[in-house]
Amino acid sequence: MTLEALKIDNVTKSFSGTEIIRGLNLSVGKNERHAVIGPNGAGKSTCYNLITGRYEVTSGKIFLHGEDITNLSPYEVKRKGLSRSFQITNIFPKMSVFENVRCSLLWSMNYKYSFWHLLGSQKELNDRAEKIIVELNLAERKNTLAGVLSYAEQRALEIGITIAGGSEVILLDEPTAGMSVSETEYIVGLIRKVTEGKTLVVVEHDMGVVFDLADRISVLVYGEIIATGSPQEVKDNQAVQEAYLGAALEEEH
Amino acid sequence: MVSYTSRYSNNILKSLLPWIISTLILIILPFIFTGGGSVTIMNQIGITIVMAMSYNMLLGQGGMLSFGHAVYMGLGGFIAVHIMNFVEDGLWLPLPLLPLVGGLVGLGMATIVGSFSTRKAGVVFAMISLGIGELLAASCIVITAFFGGEEGVSGDRTWAPPTFGIEFITQIEVYYLIAFWVLISIFLMYLFTQTPVGKMANAVRDNPERAEFVGYSMRWVRYVSFCGAGFFAGIAGALFAINFEILTEENLSMGMSFNILLATYIGGIGFFIGPVIGAVGFTLLQTVLGLQTDLWALYTGVIFILTVMYAPSGFTGIVTMHYVPWQLGKIHLLFKPYAKILVPALIFVAGLTSLIELTNHVRHHSQETSITLYWITFESNTIIPWIVLLAMTLGGFYVCRVFAKEVVDAWGEANYVEKG
Repeated sequence: MTLEALKIDNVTKSFSGTEIIRGLNLSVGKNERHAVIGPNGAGKSTCYNLITGRYEVTSGKIFLHGEDITNLSPYEVKRKGLSRSFQITNIFPKMSVFENVRCSLLWSMNYKYSFWHLLGSQKELNDRAEKIIVELNLAERKNTLAGVLSYAEQRALEIGITIAGGSEVILLDEPTAGMSVSETEYIVGLIRKVTEGKTLVVVEHDMGVVFDLADRISVLVYGEIIATGSPQEVKDNQAVQEAYLGAALEEEH
Repeated sequence: MVSYTSRYSNNILKSLLPWIISTLILIILPFIFTGGGSVTIMNQIGITIVMAMSYNMLLGQGGMLSFGHAVYMGLGGFIAVHIMNFVEDGLWLPLPLLPLVGGLVGLGMATIVGSFSTRKAGVVFAMISLGIGELLAASCIVITAFFGGEEGVSGDRTWAPPTFGIEFITQIEVYYLIAFWVLISIFLMYLFTQTPVGKMANAVRDNPERAEFVGYSMRWVRYVSFCGAGFFAGIAGALFAINFEILTEENLSMGMSFNILLATYIGGIGFFIGPVIGAVGFTLLQTVLGLQTDLWALYTGVIFILTVMYAPSGFTGIVTMHYVPWQLGKIHLLFKPYAKILVPALIFVAGLTSLIELTNHVRHHSQETSITLYWITFESNTIIPWIVLLAMTLGGFYVCRVFAKEVVDAWGEANYVEKG
């Protein structure tokens, strides 16, 4: 059996008796760029919340590099090498950009709950944080409070926090939502750059971005994956056309 | 380009400067304030500083609102007094080391309580702290062998073996002992904010969920801060024991916890030195104002409410607010409106407090008609003072309202950044 980077095996999730995720199966290969698309309310964010331990699954299993991570807490999932961003910007607003990135690096650099290291004198840590900030194009904003950044900058920081810890598998939740065309270009370029050599799963509504970025696409409708394949296969799929993509593509034009 | 090492050592020097200055200030303070009782007040301030700083590790740095922080101070203090009595019976322990023991007691208690109370922040944490506070306050009366019942437990610090020939008989000797521990505690608490877990405490305060998604358990981060806060509260307790040589149920009471909350909040919970300012201000209110009037707690309460409503970042926040106009070189725009509003504001405050004092006087000391307020003695059973004070209050308030607009305008102007 080849070890997929991420494998979701027949997962269901019910909220007070209503089944939102109905037997979800998904497998993402190592270093693959996988997009999940689907109409609003299809369960894309719920699916992320199940993978990352925000919600408990009702039944089924989730594997990361072959290891069972079902119902682990968010910090345990992160420590195993899976990191996510959020649809609604989720940063540390009262800390500087630099502090945001540095905090996201701490655990992966093995500082844990240390109260015997002084952050100011951790050269490698600080250098890495600086480097990530340069990659994010936020060098000029290094000491700015994250809460007062522009929306696009906050989205970039959101991605920075997500990738900083060096996770192998990155889950992005609508990274370009609410952005102008030029901002979208910037973010897509950024995503490409910082997820080089990693496994990427991205939920996205912008079909341009999806077809540009993804190696494979899964279509999630009403809590089920109705199709998975290369961008061209998905485009041509009759069921997808009917359920979702036709409308979405028309919207684009 | 400057090399990393030399830049680093330069930084060390720069960052040590405030500490050197603070040390010097603490050394010379007793030579400046030589008046009777000022050392006593300064000792009390020192103890409150350690306590308020420790409290802010929870509230300001970690986002944990505790209503029972006196527990850790009280327990540290009680054990310290008992140890002083053991020392009297022959146990060898120099007095300057006693705060360390108090700290370990506070730490021990926090380790136990924190193991379940830090699971959640917010209301759950606050309610548990309230419960533990009440529990300890109640045990105080019941377990008389340890807490000494209503009389409390007293000791004698002078039985300890002399430290470098010092026996800590006089207040000034105790002052330097307290000053030493104040410096050590603040320094360590400052270093804590610069460590991984100290920084994550801020992260968990701001966005606990995101902190979990970068690999940290919010519960463990809170737990570490909580234990640290318990440790320093214990130190404050032992300093209290050394200074007053007695601990009573009052030290563990809700009132004590609330006082610390008040002091910290008035000083400003968002700033590292906020609690220091708050502790100084609060202790002065308590001691200096307390000597002048029975109603000091009322005034403190009013100041607290005003802080919560109008200056949520505390006194330190009001001061640091002026950094922007100062940087823009426009601070002078504020001088005139401030000076203008100061006079009616003082008249208003003097009028209002005098009315309150007068009412209190008539209600509680009716056999005595003569009263002295703000260095003026008059008869409280005549109508004239009432009319004058009422006029001062209303007039002062009205003029303040008129001038307030000027202050607001000047403030806007002083903070205005020209474009381009």
